[in-house]
Amino acid sequence: MNDKIRACLENVRKPARYTGGEYNAVYKDKNKVDLRFAFCFPDIYEIGMSHLGSKILYGMLNGMEGVWCERAYAPFLDMEAEMRKRGQPLYALESGDPVGEFDILGFTLQYEMNYTGVLNMLDLAGVPLYSRQRTSLSPLVVAGGPCVYNAEPVADFFDIIMIGEGEEMWPELIALYRRARQEKMDKSAFLREAASIGGIYVPSLYDVTYHDDGTVAAITPRESAPPVVMKRVVKDLDKAYYPDKFIVPSTEIVFDRAMVELFRGCRRGCRFCQAGYTYRPIRAKKPETLEKQAKALIASTGWDEVSLTSLSSSDYPHLETLCESLVDYFEPMHVSLALPSLRADSFNLALVENVQKVRKSGLTFAPEAGTQRLRDVINKNLREDDLLEACKVAFAAGYNGVKLYFMMGLPTETDEDLLGISQIVRHVIATFREYGKNKSRGVRVNVGISIFVPKAQTPFQWLGQISAEEAERRKQLLMDSLKIKNVTYSIHNYQTSFLEAVFARGDRRLAPVLERAWRLGCRLDGWDENFNFDAWMQAFSDCGVDPAFYANRQLGEDEMLPWDHISSGVTKRYLYGELEQAKRGIATPDCKAGCRNCGALRLTGGGKCDV
Amino acid sequence: MFKVRFCFEKTGTAAYISHLDLMKCLQRSFTRAGIPVRYSQGFNPHIEMSIVVPLSTGYESKGDLCDLDLICDELPADFADRLNAALPRGMRVLSAKQADRPVNQIAYCAYEIRFPAGDEAAMGELFASPVCMEKKSKRGSREVDLLDYIKEIAFYREDETTVCRCVLAAGNDPLNPMYLTKALKNAGLVPEDAAAHYIRTGILDENCQNFYN
Ligand code: SF4
Repeated sequence: MNDKIRACLENVRKPARYTGGEYNAVYKDKNKVDLRFAFCFPDIYEIGMSHLGSKILYGMLNGMEGVWCERAYAPFLDMEAEMRKRGQPLYALESGDPVGEFDILGFTLQYEMNYTGVLNMLDLAGVPLYSRQRTSLSPLVVAGGPCVYNAEPVADFFDIIMIGEGEEMWPELIALYRRARQEKMDKSAFLREAASIGGIYVPSLYDVTYHDDGTVAAITPRESAPPVVMKRVVKDLDKAYYPDKFIVPSTEIVFDRAMVELFRGCRRGCRFCQAGYTYRPIRAKKPETLEKQAKALIASTGWDEVSLTSLSSSDYPHLETLCESLVDYFEPMHVSLALPSLRADSFNLALVENVQKVRKSGLTFAPEAGTQRLRDVINKNLREDDLLEACKVAFAAGYNGVKLYFMMGLPTETDEDLLGISQIVRHVIATFREYGKNKSRGVRVNVGISIFVPKAQTPFQWLGQISAEEAERRKQLLMDSLKIKNVTYSIHNYQTSFLEAVFARGDRRLAPVLERAWRLGCRLDGWDENFNFDAWMQAFSDCGVDPAFYANRQLGEDEMLPWDHISSGVTKRYLYGELEQAKRGIATPDCKAGCRNCGALRLTGGGKCDV
Repeated sequence: MFKVRFCFEKTGTAAYISHLDLMKCLQRSFTRAGIPVRYSQGFNPHIEMSIVVPLSTGYESKGDLCDLDLICDELPADFADRLNAALPRGMRVLSAKQADRPVNQIAYCAYEIRFPAGDEAAMGELFASPVCMEKKSKRGSREVDLLDYIKEIAFYREDETTVCRCVLAAGNDPLNPMYLTKALKNAGLVPEDAAAHYIRTGILDENCQNFYN
C-alpha cells in the first residue's frame, strides 16, 4: 500500500474494504508472473466478496502457473472522491498496483444497475471506455456473468464477452492471449481468433442495423465470427474446478460464509426467471463431492456457516442425506448449515430443524403471485395449500414469523390477483392463530414485493413492463390491502425496476446513454442514497433515446431481438411456446415429470438432466 | 482451563481492521489454527476472549494484547506458530503466556505519530504549556488540558518525516493520540490535509513499564 492510498483511507468509512490482506488472499511475486489479471466487480466490496462465481474464478486463475489474479471493487462515494482528489488510480487490492497496467481486466455483470460501475471503474483506472478506443492487446477488457445473455447495452465497452461458465473458457482464452503476445498479433487478429473459441463473443465483429421503427433489422457477423454464440457449460460439475479456499474478509460482507454449489440449472421453469433458463441444463454435484468441498472450505477459512446454494435447494435429489451427514460432522465444530431458496411445497420441517440446529433463522417462501390463475401464468407451480401447510408445520413447531416474496406487474395481472396477495397473508395469519405453538407471542409476516422486469432469454422476453402510472395505481392498491396487523411490507422502487427493464432488453444504442448518465454522476445506482432518476432521464433525452421503447413495448413474434445472436442453449421456439402456454394460463410441469426438449442439452452433447 | 494472554502485531493492511472486526478475525484464526478455545455456555455460544486495549481503526500496533480462555491446562507449545499460520496479513503473534496481571494495572500507552516533516522545535514548544481542547468520551465531551494526559512527549526528524513519540493516559479516561495531531493542526504546525500515521508501541503500567512483561 503506498502513501497515497494510505492518505485516502484516513478519511473514508470502513477502510478495510480497500486494503486487501485478508486471509487466503493470494500474493505472488510480480516479477515471476507473465500475466496480471484484475478481477473487477462493478459494485462495492461487501457485495462483490459475497459472490460465489468470483471466488471460483479467483482460485482457478491463481492456480494457473504464471498468472496472478487480483481483485478490484467499485469504491464507495467517499473513497472515489479521495482517489480522484489525490490522483490515485483504481488499484488491485493485493499488490496496490494500478489495474490500468494489467494485462486483462475481467468484469462480472451481475445486475444491470451495475453498468455505470463498469464505466466508473474503467475511468478510475485510466482505461478508455470503448473497446474501439483501446488499440493494444492490453489491457484486454472482458465481461462475464448472468447479464451476458443480453449484454448489448454494454457490448461496445468490452473487447470480449464470455457466454456461460468460465471454468473451461478462461484457460483457452489465456493460452491464446499468451500466444498472441508471443507472435506479436495485433488486437484485431487476436479478437478474430478468440471468436473461434466456443462461448467467446466478440461484439466488435458484429454489425447491427435497425429498421426505421427502431427495431433490429440485422445482426451480421464479420470475419468468420459465428452467427450465433452458444453458451459454454461444464459437463461434469464433480470434475470441474472448485476452490478449497475462499478469501476470508476482515470486515463484514453480505454473505460471510462458506458456500458449496448443489447444482446448476433449475427444473422448475418459472417463466419470469432468467437464471432458470440460462443456467440449464441441470447438473448436480454428488453428495460426496459436496461434503468434501464443504469440509475443505471450513478447515481453510474458519467460517462458522456453510451455505448450500442453488436456484432451488429443495430440488437437490440427495438433500436430506447430505444435510444429515453435514450436520453430524459440523455440529460439534459450532458450524451451522444455511439452506437458502427452499420451496414451500417440498418443505420438510425435520430437515430445516436439523439444518438450523446450531442457529435458528427465519422462514422465507416465494409464492410470487396472489392467485392460482396468475401462478399458472408465470409457471410458479406452488399451490396456496402447500404454502399454508408448510406454515402450519413450522408454526406448530414454534416458528412465529415468515417472509413472503411476491411480484407485481406480472403479465395478465388483474386487481384480483393483487388483492390475492393480502388474502394469502390473511390465511397465513389465520394458520398461525390456529396452529401456532406460541400464540401469545404473535405472528410476524413480512411481505416483499418487487416489480416484474421482463428479461432476455425467458418466455416473457417479448412482453412489456407496466407503465409508471399503472405501477403507482397498483402500488396504492397493494398498500391499502396490506394494512393488516402483524404485517410489514416493502415494495420495490419502480424507477429502478424501469431502468432494469430498459437495459435488460436494450440494444447497442444504449451505450451512449450509459456513458452520459455516468458523466452526469450516476453510479452505484443500486444504492438508494445515490440513485438519481432525473439524471437518467436527462441522459436518455440528451441522447435522443426513448426508454419506454425498451421497457414497456411488447415485441413482435417475428421481430429480430437484439440478443438473437446469443444462445443460452434453450431455443427461441421453446421460449415462445412457453409464452403461448402462459397466455392460455397453462402451467408446464417441471422437468422431473419428463424432459420437454428445451434445447439446453445441446450444450453438453446430449445425455440427460439431473432431476 | 488456561487463560492465555498473547501479544501481537497489527501492521500494514491489518491496521485497518476495526476493533469489532478484529474480534471476528481472531476467532476465525483460532478455528483455523485448531486452538482449543473455550465457548461460553448458553443459547448463543461464543468464544471467551477480549482484546485488552482496543485500538482505533487505521492505527498500527507493535504489541497489542488479547486474553483468551483455552480448554486445556497448559499453554500448547506451538500456540504462537499455529496461530501465526492462520492470521491475516499484517498480524503476527510475538509471544504468549498465562494472563497473570489484572488489566486494571494498565495506566499508559506509548505511541509514535508520523507526519510530513515540519518544525519539531515548535511542536515541542506547543506542548510545553497547557493545551486546552474539547475531548470526547463515552460520557460526552468536555474541555480538558491535554497535558494532564501526556506523560511524555518528544519530536524528532527521521528523513522526510517528523516523528512524535509520546506516552499517553490509558485506562478509564484515555487519550487518543489524534488529539495531539488536532492540536498541531490547530496551531498550524501540521498542514490540515496531511495524513498522520499512528503506531502504538507499547501498553504500560503505572511505572511506565511494559505491562505485559
Ligand atoms: S427441458 Fe429437458 S433439457 Fe431442458 S432443463 Fe428440462 S430436462 Fe433439461
